[in-house]
Amino acid sequence: MEAKQYIGEGWKHAILIVGAIVVLLPFYMMVSMSLKSQQEIQSISGGLIGAQETQTFPVCVKTGYSEEECTMKPYKYNYWFAFEKAPIPRYLMNGVIVTLSIFIIQVLVALPCAYALAKLRFYGREFVFSMVLFCLLIPVHGIALPLYVMLAQAGLVDTYSALILPWTISVFGIFLMRQFFMTVPDELIDAARMDGMGEYAIVWKVMLPTAIPALLAFAIFSVVAHWNDYFWPRMVITGNRDLFTPPLGIREFRGGIDSDEFGPMMASIVTVTVPLIVAFIIAQKRFIEGITLTGMK
Amino acid sequence: MHNSKAHLWFIAPAIILMIIILIFPLFLAGGISFTDYNLGNKTFEWIGLENYDKMFNRKTYVKMIWATATYVIVVVPISVILGLCAAMLLNSLRFGADIYKTIFFLPVMATLLAMAIAWEFTLHPTLGIVNSFLANGCGGAREFIFGFHWLPWVDSEQSWYAVACANNMDFPYWLKQKNTAIWTVCFIGIWQAFGFNMVLYLAGLTGIPRELYQAAEMDGAKSTWEQFKLVTWPMLGPTTLFVVTITTIRTFQVFDTIEILTKGGPSKTTYVMMYAIFEKAIQQNLTSIGAAITVVFIGFILILTFFQRYIIEKRVHY
Repeated sequence: MEAKQYIGEGWKHAILIVGAIVVLLPFYMMVSMSLKSQQEIQSISGGLIGAQETQTFPVCVKTGYSEEECTMKPYKYNYWFAFEKAPIPRYLMNGVIVTLSIFIIQVLVALPCAYALAKLRFYGREFVFSMVLFCLLIPVHGIALPLYVMLAQAGLVDTYSALILPWTISVFGIFLMRQFFMTVPDELIDAARMDGMGEYAIVWKVMLPTAIPALLAFAIFSVVAHWNDYFWPRMVITGNRDLFTPPLGIREFRGGIDSDEFGPMMASIVTVTVPLIVAFIIAQKRFIEGITLTGMK
Repeated sequence: MHNSKAHLWFIAPAIILMIIILIFPLFLAGGISFTDYNLGNKTFEWIGLENYDKMFNRKTYVKMIWATATYVIVVVPISVILGLCAAMLLNSLRFGADIYKTIFFLPVMATLLAMAIAWEFTLHPTLGIVNSFLANGCGGAREFIFGFHWLPWVDSEQSWYAVACANNMDFPYWLKQKNTAIWTVCFIGIWQAFGFNMVLYLAGLTGIPRELYQAAEMDGAKSTWEQFKLVTWPMLGPTTLFVVTITTIRTFQVFDTIEILTKGGPSKTTYVMMYAIFEKAIQQNLTSIGAAITVVFIGFILILTFFQRYIIEKRVHY
């Protein structure tokens, strides 16, 4: 390699590193604030983790804990107090319940339909498929208001159903699975029929296993989208803390930005943000594949 | 061919849900937008186009259209171009590309709401590291770089940076200030979106056969820029079209950052459509005007998508 190429490579890295710093800046800020004491945050001192001096935290004492209970290192205090103040495990559990229910129902609805569209011949198939194509154009967030009116009329605002129902149909899932099933050879299905399998058994015992890779990508796509979704929960959950999903929890932690302690607040935010980021770092390839799935449209 | 009716059971749930959840609401929104219905009312009157009339004539809604248009027009091109640049840089690297890819993709993955709050603190006038970084740089190299003193036409005494330094560190309040709020929100939008575009472009780049570059070189396209013009850009046509459409649709739907950071303010400069729908229809219970905004919103999206399909059929080919 020539010297000139080395210099070129060096410049590219320089540009990318500056970009990476800008991209990582809020992550740094978030983690750093969740570890430092209030004074260090306010004076913007202490670098990433602060001095970690053991101290007594006045807000904690005011809340009714004994002075002894409130004396510890800042990082420990921030995370401990975050869990004391808000039912974080509950929010995380709600996140899991909602995203998993959505995904499972989406698959239960989409898989048979995709199979029928790909492999069964019946009157009106083309029409159903063009209906799917049309529905692909409708952004669900865009029709949130009429959906909200419908749910309100049905008395379902502030329930799990409100969080889950509008997402039970994934036309994108149907489309994706149909494209996938088109590539499955007919002989496989014919052989299953010869063995005396019914159509239901074929869908769940023959087609489902072949679709695992596509399904996994779709799972990531769906779970990430709904775990992070803030708009819809914000619409239909008005005040019931028991139904808060992680983003609603985040909003609650933020509270009055100038009144509260920032450390525990950021600690809560880090706690609910971290699971997905860790999952992403572990299974990067699959995540990138899943989230850019829309690229296959 | 078998004669079972199984397909009916297979497609019925999907069809019923599509009609109830996706198609009926379109008509419902259209219907409500011509009435004065508010949620909770027992009766309503048909009032024709009054809601739409308000939308295009009242100051608030004109500002809404402006804020949405500004946001989309700024975020889409910049995040697409940044995505393309990042993809091409990464593609030409000898080592380390995977690390940058992971880092740039992090914002796409992370809960946007949490990241918006993190940005709020990063850009906070007194607590944020951005303004303290700027304040500590007064009179130094930072002032020279970020004050654009290196541009020949910038007077180093009068640059925004120098003025802020002279006025007791009067740096922008980013999200709280009328003339910076929308740009700051745009910046966060770009920060979040470009990694997604980068990954799509990376996939597009791997699809370009090497021979094309060799052929271009034989035809006299020696410089990187000429090769880009002759091979890369045309070959990325379909990817670009797709990236632009999907980014535009996502950008139109911006809500999280607005709701948590600016609430549409200051003085409606960041009052985007999704936030307007939420504020009017949910918080102020003005359902019918919210429905009218919804109809316009869906209209925009449908026009965009049809436009995309049209171009796919007419223009983009190898």
